[in-house]
Amino acid sequence: MSALKIFRDLFSHNGEFAIGLVLLLVVLAVAACSFFSPYPPMDVYVVPPDVPPSWEHPLGTTSRGQDVFWQLTFAIRNTLLFGIVVAILSRIISLFIGLISGYKGGWIDRVLMSINDTFVVIPLFPILVLFYFIMRDQMSWALLAVITALLGWAYDARLIRSIAMSLRTREFTRQAVFSGMSTGKIVLQEHLPFVLPIVFSTTMNNINWSIGIEVTLSVLGFTDINTPTIGGMIYWANQHAALVSGIWWWVTFPVVLVIMLFIGLFLLAISMNEYIDPRSRLSRLGGQA
Amino acid sequence: MITQLRPMPPSLEMRAPQTAPLLEVDRLKAYYKTQLFGVDREVRAVDDINLKVNRNEIYGLAGESSSGKSSLIKTVAGAIRPPLRVVEGSVRFNFKDGERDIYKLSPQELSAIRWSHLSYIMQGSMSVLNPVRRIKHAFVDFALPHVNAKGADFTNLVERHLKRVHLDPAVLQAYPHELSGGMRQRVTIALATVCGPEFIIADEPTTALDVIVQKGVLLMLREIQQELKSSVLFVTHDMAVHANLTDRLGIMYAGRLVEEGRTRDLFKRPLHPYTAHLISSLPRIGDEAPKKGLEGSPPSLANPPPGCRFHPRCPLAVDICRREAPPMMEILPGHRAACHVAQADPTRVETVG
Repeated sequence: MSALKIFRDLFSHNGEFAIGLVLLLVVLAVAACSFFSPYPPMDVYVVPPDVPPSWEHPLGTTSRGQDVFWQLTFAIRNTLLFGIVVAILSRIISLFIGLISGYKGGWIDRVLMSINDTFVVIPLFPILVLFYFIMRDQMSWALLAVITALLGWAYDARLIRSIAMSLRTREFTRQAVFSGMSTGKIVLQEHLPFVLPIVFSTTMNNINWSIGIEVTLSVLGFTDINTPTIGGMIYWANQHAALVSGIWWWVTFPVVLVIMLFIGLFLLAISMNEYIDPRSRLSRLGGQA
Repeated sequence: MITQLRPMPPSLEMRAPQTAPLLEVDRLKAYYKTQLFGVDREVRAVDDINLKVNRNEIYGLAGESSSGKSSLIKTVAGAIRPPLRVVEGSVRFNFKDGERDIYKLSPQELSAIRWSHLSYIMQGSMSVLNPVRRIKHAFVDFALPHVNAKGADFTNLVERHLKRVHLDPAVLQAYPHELSGGMRQRVTIALATVCGPEFIIADEPTTALDVIVQKGVLLMLREIQQELKSSVLFVTHDMAVHANLTDRLGIMYAGRLVEEGRTRDLFKRPLHPYTAHLISSLPRIGDEAPKKGLEGSPPSLANPPPGCRFHPRCPLAVDICRREAPPMMEILPGHRAACHVAQADPTRVETVG
């Protein structure tokens, strides 16, 4: 079955997938609009400030003289990119650690898993805030992505390790060892295809998680506030007391868009899960797994 | 399902092979050694085994579960990992391009002889194929590094070989779950024989199949063996399969080889009481007498009984059996057994069973 056909079937038979996909496509379309923006994202006072939504400015303008819609296109693009970069980086780490640890076992497993467990239990948010206070002006968007990725791989590494441990005892692994395949080849060619669907599903949750981190940090101003992001927009709105002075559109639209992104990714993740794990499909039909 | 004994090929009829045996296992001892919480445990899965496998021969290895069959062949294949360790003895192969002692080779040399000289059909070979990869990838992963062919040449080689085992080359594009059990078994055998190995180890390759498919797979295995002129070490606890397939047969009991000879001789005239019991347990057409089971169960290999390991269950056991382990001795031409009673008087064993 080709990937396209799977997509079509999921879309027509799985409501969650359909809604999730539509929401995600809307968000992606908004992000894509940033390439056609008439205003540079960093410039202020390019339009009259505090204009409510109108034909000319569909989502209104901010107190800093920026068009909310075009500002939003840049913000969502950066936020989404942040989530994807974090997800990819942390996926690479968790795949590497999980597969090696599960396949090798022994002291390698013990060392890697004690590091892993350390990352599971350390409180994330204070550490990120701490990083901001240490780095201050050097705290760029890319650096924050790397730090978040370094903190966000541990849960999945454990999940992948448990799968790799079961794969290690299967006959085809023994056959591969007997035929003289190296550890790297066994892990990459024989075991990676098994974990990829699961990784695919957790990736979307990880994007959600990292966007949540980023929004929280930038709402509080603990990031590089000059790069337009969803959190950054809310930060500036708070700075100008937008809600008090009745500029509700400055806060509402970024929040609505990021919620759409959250829900879209979440629905995609659970419908993917259902596609990957036939047992959850069965329980949905009322059967017993 | 036993029907009749396979007629013996004339080449094996009552004469010693002219060339050196392909495989020589010499006083091999391989134990599982573990040390947990300060307690040492030693399980003597392979204990002092001598055997030879000639060229162009199917050597069968029989014995009940936990008699050390699988440990022995893993040791012979050099595919052991801790806690199983070789304690003593050697495993030597006389391949066409030179003699090799498996436990004196570097990992690279060992990997080089695998598949091309020595291949292994794994136990539970239904699951030897990776379920998420196409069959062609299994060939590429396992066999490609061991042959002198690349790209289209390799594909041709594999396709020709698949036709030889009566499989459509289209299976290369399939996933394992799309094939039937018998086809999957053929694919695994094709995988093990594609490089034309001189020595093939088969660990219960047909256990999960029904008798009809089993017969087809066994015939195919024999066909391949005769075409490649290779030797096969065939392990199963199914005596009927041994009777139909193997040229010579070794019987294992509690980690030791207790009897060895031409399959035909062994079935006709077993020299060890254990073998006699095994054979008398097989159903025979026209025989309506109820079958008697052998009392007791095989001993723990961590703490085997002294003397002959079979003596607690042996109806013929005499005093010496409880004290001294019998050596493996040639009693009839080409027929060895480790039994004090049979060594004194080979006719006594016939009363058993």
